[in-house]
Amino acid sequence: MKRIASYALRMILYFILVAPLLLFIAYAFSTRWFFPQPFPIEWTLTTFQRAIDDSRTLSSMAQGIWIAVLVSLLSLILALPTARVLGLRKFRGRQLAWLLLFLPTVIPPLAIGMGLNILFLRIGLAGTIAGVVLAHIIPTLPYTIFTLSSAYARFDENYEFQALALGASPWNIFFKVTLRMLAPSLVVATLFAFLISWSQYLLTLLIGGGQVITLPILLFSAASGGNPATIANLSLLFIAPPILVIAATARQLNQHGNEIREQY
Amino acid sequence: MTTVNINSLNKTYPNQPAPVLKDFSLSINDGEMVALLGPSGMGKSTLLKLITGIERPDSGDIQFDGSSILNVDPNKRGAVLMFQKSYLFPFLTVEDNIGFGLKVQRASPETIRGEVKRMLDLIGLPGIEKRKVGQLSGGEGQRVALARALVTNPKLLLLDEPLSSLDTEVRMNLQEAIRVIQRELGVTTTFVTHDLGEAMAMSDRMALLLNGEIVALDKPETLFHRPRSMAAAKFMGVSTFLNGDQLPVKCEARSLSQKLFAIRPEHIRVQKDGCEQSLQGVVSDCVFRGEYVEYQVAVGEMSVRARMPMPAQMFSHGEQVHVRFPAEYLFEVQN
Amino acid sequence: MRDKSIFTPWISLAPALTVILVMLGASLFYAIAESLGFISVIGQGDISFSAYRATLAADSEFWVSLGFSLWISITSTFISSVIALALAVWLSSRNKESDTLALNWNLAFPHLVFAIALLLFLSQSGLFARWAASLGLIAAPDQFPILVRDRFGIGIILSYIGKEVPFLTLILLSVLRSQSIRYDVVAENLGASHWQRLRYVTIPQVLPALLAGDLLVFGFIFSSYEVPALLGVGYPRALPVLALRFFLDPDLRARSEGMVISLIITLIVILVAVISLRIGERQE
Repeated sequence: MKRIASYALRMILYFILVAPLLLFIAYAFSTRWFFPQPFPIEWTLTTFQRAIDDSRTLSSMAQGIWIAVLVSLLSLILALPTARVLGLRKFRGRQLAWLLLFLPTVIPPLAIGMGLNILFLRIGLAGTIAGVVLAHIIPTLPYTIFTLSSAYARFDENYEFQALALGASPWNIFFKVTLRMLAPSLVVATLFAFLISWSQYLLTLLIGGGQVITLPILLFSAASGGNPATIANLSLLFIAPPILVIAATARQLNQHGNEIREQY
Repeated sequence: MTTVNINSLNKTYPNQPAPVLKDFSLSINDGEMVALLGPSGMGKSTLLKLITGIERPDSGDIQFDGSSILNVDPNKRGAVLMFQKSYLFPFLTVEDNIGFGLKVQRASPETIRGEVKRMLDLIGLPGIEKRKVGQLSGGEGQRVALARALVTNPKLLLLDEPLSSLDTEVRMNLQEAIRVIQRELGVTTTFVTHDLGEAMAMSDRMALLLNGEIVALDKPETLFHRPRSMAAAKFMGVSTFLNGDQLPVKCEARSLSQKLFAIRPEHIRVQKDGCEQSLQGVVSDCVFRGEYVEYQVAVGEMSVRARMPMPAQMFSHGEQVHVRFPAEYLFEVQN
Repeated sequence: MRDKSIFTPWISLAPALTVILVMLGASLFYAIAESLGFISVIGQGDISFSAYRATLAADSEFWVSLGFSLWISITSTFISSVIALALAVWLSSRNKESDTLALNWNLAFPHLVFAIALLLFLSQSGLFARWAASLGLIAAPDQFPILVRDRFGIGIILSYIGKEVPFLTLILLSVLRSQSIRYDVVAENLGASHWQRLRYVTIPQVLPALLAGDLLVFGFIFSSYEVPALLGVGYPRALPVLALRFFLDPDLRARSEGMVISLIITLIVILVAVISLRIGERQE
């Protein structure tokens, strides 16, 4: 009896967690679903197709992806040397370094965005993709650094010494040995950075100033409007990358995710 | 102050073909300390789990003072366990840890404080009530764990290799401490170990476990000097077994050629010259081990392992020697 | 090992540190400058505290929004904690990977999307309203209670609960799954009943992590914009929403006030972070 109750509760929990997705699908792929019908009756792909074909949707998605890719790359490049030092070396001021590097997780994006808005307006980066990319790096960097530093902490430098002794050049060592051994964490760090950038709303709004439009911005204004089908379609497009990412890294995320959460 | 009767316990785990405990029976007398000795994975830990109620047996019974405890809730049985790791609650101080068993019985704070103090005196660590668990050394931690187990006056104390993770010297100290405390409190105790020396040092009786069954159960001295079966003898470090007709000519025991005899390595004599009661052999190994010298001698097809206390003669590999089995140390074993 | 001078680590740290510190520093500088009326988009002005006075004036909307934001943050955090605790204790008895997967799945949804989903569920013409109508409970959309875009922030609170419960649960689960199983056995062995184990062993174990998580969640909710912007109404507005509205106002004075509010929000969040650090240090 207890087992049945437990099973039922668990199913309810899972259902609640999946419900939003189901709702979006219901709205996105149905037509003429009005109040007070409890369930959609007519299914169609036309609304979804129309949403995808819409040039604004496509361009905002493209911009979002492009920005996220740039952000991930830059984040990685900046994070690698940082993470190496933090993960492998003990030095005075290490605590301070950690604190400074993780400041972005404490200071609200609202404040950061507002200040940067003025700064970028002054130096001409406002409303540009470069400006948005730069802004996005701020929230992604701490996570990238943290993921990679954990990987480095578990990394044995002797492998590099071994390669050196065997005659490899520094570039070779880095690309053929170090990066390959860090590969799983590299993937996780990159995907995290991508996700964070992809989901950014406020920073893009404040820096992009209406000229750089990504999917979340489109979605937000659609949601303030009211056509559920459009909203649902855009939402599905918006959450597609996060779902794919989570699915791809589920296991690794378990370990890393907990560490990152606990890092605070 | 409890008599424990374990009757015909059987337990098989679902993903294993062989039973982990087979018709296991054991009686522990009031206030007695019984050691369960055996290689790892032989069912010793399972037995403790069955007694404490973490697992249920497939069949059989466990009785405390004559009444079965199988239907008593695990937290009400009065069988308290001590593990290899102390598992002291890290978020509680030493005194809160020790007092835990009393707190869940809703004892008054004054009672708890008094009992904790008494326990700390007993384990030889007075005054550390307010210390944090993380500040204790390995030996201290285990002592506190012992105090925590004993404060509730358990019916049965179960120790699951509690000293295995400690350094040798700490281990020795704790062996003595546990023995003394157990005797003073008169707590019926059983403890599990794979260390022969530890089992002999601490127990009133020893049970040798092989494949889920008890192959021998007796006082340590008896088991050491006169194990009754070959399996038990091997357990106790005997490696030399001789049939009656393998014995040297002049031995009286030769007439009992159908019987099997054994002798401890410490009693075998390795000497240069022969005598009437010796067999010839060739030294294959001779190792200096500090307090004694260990010899490996090939006698015919047998390889005999002997130990002689220092000062003893060292022989070189291949040297011809004689091996003597003094009749007073030969004893009979069953196969 | 290799002998390196003490300066080398900082060279490796320099790129990331520079980027972060420069941008944060500049952002902070301009934020303060604008709040003081000193620098703005148009040009320079004189340092003036008028924006501060206006914001902190007794009749300013700031106080209303502050109260509203505190209400949302505290309520959401509290309710989420209670549910997360119960959930974590329940799920820790079974070590199923599907549980963590399901919870992680929820984490993948950005807050914005979850809020939107809630909108579709709970609005007066949303899914639940339609179900109520088809069950005959209501006849027209406006008979369905206002649960989103309401004056009490119910929709906002629900949205945050829906996202923070899985987050907190995962934190608690990671604590419970690491060692606590053994402690639970030990406690039972020493005579503790089910509820006693919960009270004396399980909860003390997760309390530090829960507290840290709560402060983190509180700070996040307090300073977050998207959800109250989407699910809130014109009055009362959450503090971040107020700040942004003012900031985007063409009127210079309003902009400065927006900055002031934003700085106050930042101050409060930093305060919460410091408190959390202090508590964390005291645990050691």
